[in-house]
Amino acid sequence: MAEHSGQYDAANTAKRNQNPPQMASKSPGNRHKNVQKSTKNQDPGEEVELVQAPETEQLRFPSTSKAVEGLLTFLILFLACLAAFSSRLFAVIRFESIIHEFDPWFNYRSTHHLVSHGFYNFLNWFDERAWYPLGRIVGGTVYPGLMVTSGAIHWFAHLLNIPVHIRDVCVFLAPLFSGFTALAAYGLTKELWSPGAGLLAACFIAIVPGYISRSVAGSYDNEGIAIFALLFTYYLWLKAVKTGSVSWAAATALSYFYMVSAWGGYVFIINLIPLHVCVLLMMGRFSYRIYVAFSVFYILGTVFSMQVPFVGFQPVRTSEHMAAAGTFALLQAYAFLKYVQDFLSKKEFRALFFFGVMGTAGVVFLSVVLLTYAGFIAPWSGRFYSLYDTGYAKIHIPIIASVSEHQPTTWVSFFFDLHILVCTFPAGLWFVIKDINDERVFIVLYALSAVYFAGVMVRLMLTLTPVVCILASIAISKTLTEYLDNDTGSGGKKKVEEEGEETEEDEEEVDRKNRKLYDKAGKIRKPKLDQDKDSDGMGTNLKGFVVMALLMMLMMFAVHCTWVTSNAYSSPSIVLATYNNDGTRNILDDFREAYYWLSQNTGEKDRVMSWWDYGYQIAGMANRTTLVDNNTWNNSHIALVGKAMSSNETQAYKIMRELDVNYVLVIFGGVIGYSGDDINKFLWMVRIAEGEHPKDIRESDYFTVNGEFRVDSSGSPTLLNCLMYKMCYYRFGEMQLDFRSPAGYDRTRNAEIGNKDISFKHLEEAYTTEHWLVRIYRVKPLDNREPSTDKVSKKSKKKFYSKKTSKRKRGSIKNKPVVKKGKRKTTTRKSSSKTTGKKQRTK
Amino acid sequence: MRLKNMEGCTKFPLWKIMQISGCIFLILVILSPAALGKKKDEALGERVKQLMDWSTKRVIIRMNGDKFRQYVKSTPRNYSMVIMLTAMQPQRKCTVCRQVSDEFQIVANSWRYSQSYSNKLFFASVDYDEGQDVFKMLKTTSAPSILHFPPKGKAKKGDTFDIQRVGFQSEQMAKWVGERTDVHIRIFRPPNYSGTIALGILLSMVAGFLYFRRNNLEFLYNKTIWGVVSLCIVFAMTSGQMWNHIRGPPYAHRNPQTGQVSYIHGSSQGQFVAETHIVILLHAAVTVGVILLNKNAITEGDIRKRRVVTVIGLVMVVFFFSLLLSVFRAKYKGYPYSFLIK
Repeated sequence: MAEHSGQYDAANTAKRNQNPPQMASKSPGNRHKNVQKSTKNQDPGEEVELVQAPETEQLRFPSTSKAVEGLLTFLILFLACLAAFSSRLFAVIRFESIIHEFDPWFNYRSTHHLVSHGFYNFLNWFDERAWYPLGRIVGGTVYPGLMVTSGAIHWFAHLLNIPVHIRDVCVFLAPLFSGFTALAAYGLTKELWSPGAGLLAACFIAIVPGYISRSVAGSYDNEGIAIFALLFTYYLWLKAVKTGSVSWAAATALSYFYMVSAWGGYVFIINLIPLHVCVLLMMGRFSYRIYVAFSVFYILGTVFSMQVPFVGFQPVRTSEHMAAAGTFALLQAYAFLKYVQDFLSKKEFRALFFFGVMGTAGVVFLSVVLLTYAGFIAPWSGRFYSLYDTGYAKIHIPIIASVSEHQPTTWVSFFFDLHILVCTFPAGLWFVIKDINDERVFIVLYALSAVYFAGVMVRLMLTLTPVVCILASIAISKTLTEYLDNDTGSGGKKKVEEEGEETEEDEEEVDRKNRKLYDKAGKIRKPKLDQDKDSDGMGTNLKGFVVMALLMMLMMFAVHCTWVTSNAYSSPSIVLATYNNDGTRNILDDFREAYYWLSQNTGEKDRVMSWWDYGYQIAGMANRTTLVDNNTWNNSHIALVGKAMSSNETQAYKIMRELDVNYVLVIFGGVIGYSGDDINKFLWMVRIAEGEHPKDIRESDYFTVNGEFRVDSSGSPTLLNCLMYKMCYYRFGEMQLDFRSPAGYDRTRNAEIGNKDISFKHLEEAYTTEHWLVRIYRVKPLDNREPSTDKVSKKSKKKFYSKKTSKRKRGSIKNKPVVKKGKRKTTTRKSSSKTTGKKQRTK
Repeated sequence: MRLKNMEGCTKFPLWKIMQISGCIFLILVILSPAALGKKKDEALGERVKQLMDWSTKRVIIRMNGDKFRQYVKSTPRNYSMVIMLTAMQPQRKCTVCRQVSDEFQIVANSWRYSQSYSNKLFFASVDYDEGQDVFKMLKTTSAPSILHFPPKGKAKKGDTFDIQRVGFQSEQMAKWVGERTDVHIRIFRPPNYSGTIALGILLSMVAGFLYFRRNNLEFLYNKTIWGVVSLCIVFAMTSGQMWNHIRGPPYAHRNPQTGQVSYIHGSSQGQFVAETHIVILLHAAVTVGVILLNKNAITEGDIRKRRVVTVIGLVMVVFFFSLLLSVFRAKYKGYPYSFLIK
């Protein structure tokens, strides 16, 4: 016990030592002395003072050091928040304040419902506009944290008589929370390393593209607030581990509750924290601080998380949460044995202890396995399982594999999202491991698990980004500390340095105002470099070079972040823009045009069929009933829609009649060369349909003999006659886009289409937007019976005359309905009768 | 006289024999179609029985030219045959054949031990060195290939399994078999115990090692080892080894026209294995550079040593980072920034 706490304190003192280098240089010898001196469980706030006090006295600021330091910290954090907020506004400035992409539209719609109907109505909301005819219980199937947060902000603003529209709250929520994330990152890094590294981490996380990708203005999604909740929970957890106080642990549980209500990724927390505890036990770092922190956190956190309707009883009934429960049991046993220790001799105790711990671990493991077999605990769900067995989703769950976010990550996307941080954060990890203590074990585990998950799925880059920022800031802060101070206090000067860098970052985002600051910072920096030159030591020039090089690279990082944010992550994707040669811009607003048309020209209760990607947008913007949407909970329903899209028109019409479809909507990019259209997604529709209806749909039918997917005349006839193809290319063969290319030339796939002569029997074109991006078709109702009976009556008339004698001949009414006998209602006959019916009508 | 006698003697029996044989012949003539049909049926039944026999012994029936003609080519069949043409002899140097054969074996096994196992479908293989005439008969020159012979009619276009296009995963094979024969096979891969065994051996070795060194466990507290292990994990992941594992890209690409080997994939969507190795080195170099910059504490006292280490660290960080940036720039078209190296 004493040994462990000794380690803990040794690390603390090491932290203190690293700032003044002359002390750090002696640290190996020094540390042991400090172990004995230092007391246990120092209040971290006090500790910071202790760290800062000796340095700041030597600072060359005229005013009192502590005030300056506080001011600088505040200023830097404020600027970091400002940078975080403003660098996410590209989309709003370029386009307008709108909700982006797909999922945010659903979130916006439910937030709107929450604000206009109240919280309890929202919880009980049954949405009959989605998943027709099944409907969806929204209140029980969403993480309500996001909606409640923006609803609360809206309510608060209205309380202060600020008439802000709920849409604007939603649009600006993610940038606002990324500011908070910067603060949380500061706190977390401060707990782990030093306040200086904390400031650097705040600056990094404010502008790093890996986080901006999910939190630009208008991207109103769970992740936007969840990353804040994640970091804040970890911050509080480290506080709880450090202090062992119930209040911090309870605060951790509360923050965890917020995270659970906001994002499904909370599972990461409830597995990482037990892992931390487990590893600490294995390292022999058990202490009652950890016992208190984890016991309080687990009990409260579990009870809290079960209050979220969507989560319900999952925390006690699914495998994802069993690690936490097992660790809880293990920790209790461990603590109990520690307690027993007092009553036993040393030798007895060692044997008992070993077998006690091993036995408990075995019992816990076996009971979880048995309960899983018995069915009390649900096994790993497919989505989680696919993280472990990487090939699983590809074979078994095409709907997961089809989403581009679920692909593995190339090194290019790591570099793209993290730039210099990706190659400096291993150094930070190295320093942390070299100088380990209870909290730092946590960040190491976080880094290792997150980097694995990010490697498996592009989407989970988001959870990796914060830890990369933290560790990279530790590495860079340590280096800067080493080279910036010269036998003098480092903290203050380092902060000046950071401020300079911060303003450089700002300069990219908000130009005019901060340029002044930049000049100021430059002025500050120059004399300091001169100072370095003055003082001797190991090559002041060299020190200057190192610092300059690091600053150059950090500046490049800031430039890179801005470029990436502006070019890659700031497109609303429902409004497209093209640029002419002279730099002028064309806005393609086809999506909203089509949705507006739907909302104005179709019946209130009409059903619109489209591929699931567009379900949320149709519901959100056009306010019409959809069959499938981005909440892909019912695979067979989606497969049915996929089957309709990939069958021929007659078959599709049957399915559409069964599903009560009134309109069909397809996205077609062939005119403007938009690559994310339905033809490019078409193979996934076929695959998903094949998964449920292997008899009717076969993927190989849609390929050419050589196994290619082609839309031109060499394409497979099944493809050229399926509903999706026909709807996309209807009358496209008549259209010549420019003089060089033939009529019907598809710009997306660079091919002249193979089937130019498309006509519909059961559908009719209802609307096509300006650039043909969205095409809407109306499903015709069944033909009236009148014409179809005509032919039958004729036939029967013939029979009638031939069979009956003239004596019994009766008068007949023209077009008299005749009851058909037997089952002779075949498709061919229907169609033939229809054609005749048309002819008759024209007469 | 003797002769006459003999004639007399034989007269009766000869006549009798002729009569009997005539009768038999008549009967035969009358009954022949039925008898032949019966014989054919028997032959079919026998063949099926024979095939069943073989397939219980060996899931994939090995065939030569004669057997092929007898069991696959002969017309009345009520079973489908899936034939793999291969060349497994070592002198043929067909490495693909072995892989395909393994997958084929998995499909056949899954079928053999499935619930719905019946005599409707058999798996067989023909080796080039045992049945060259089969290859001639089918007019193929390439191995491996997998063909399906339906019970009725001739083989159609789709009856050749397209290894080039869909690959030779047994799942794909099963799907294809399902398409051709309406027999849906659920692939049951024999769980790959090699990984588990390797892990078990590793763990027991570690445990044994710890047991032997139980008096001196100091090395467990060696942070350098732990640090190196974690850095290895990080480098492996950030350089996209997981992508390699899932997608299985080639090691490098050789341009067939010029013979030039390119180690770096041209687009940002893909990567080669060699490329990820280069990236690992670059990442590691930058990291080591940063660590070297902080090594002053160790070389404390000796100013010149410190200087050298610092210079090395600085040069490593700057040079390798700009190299990394230039590689990135080459892959990510339209990226405007570079640092020192274009």
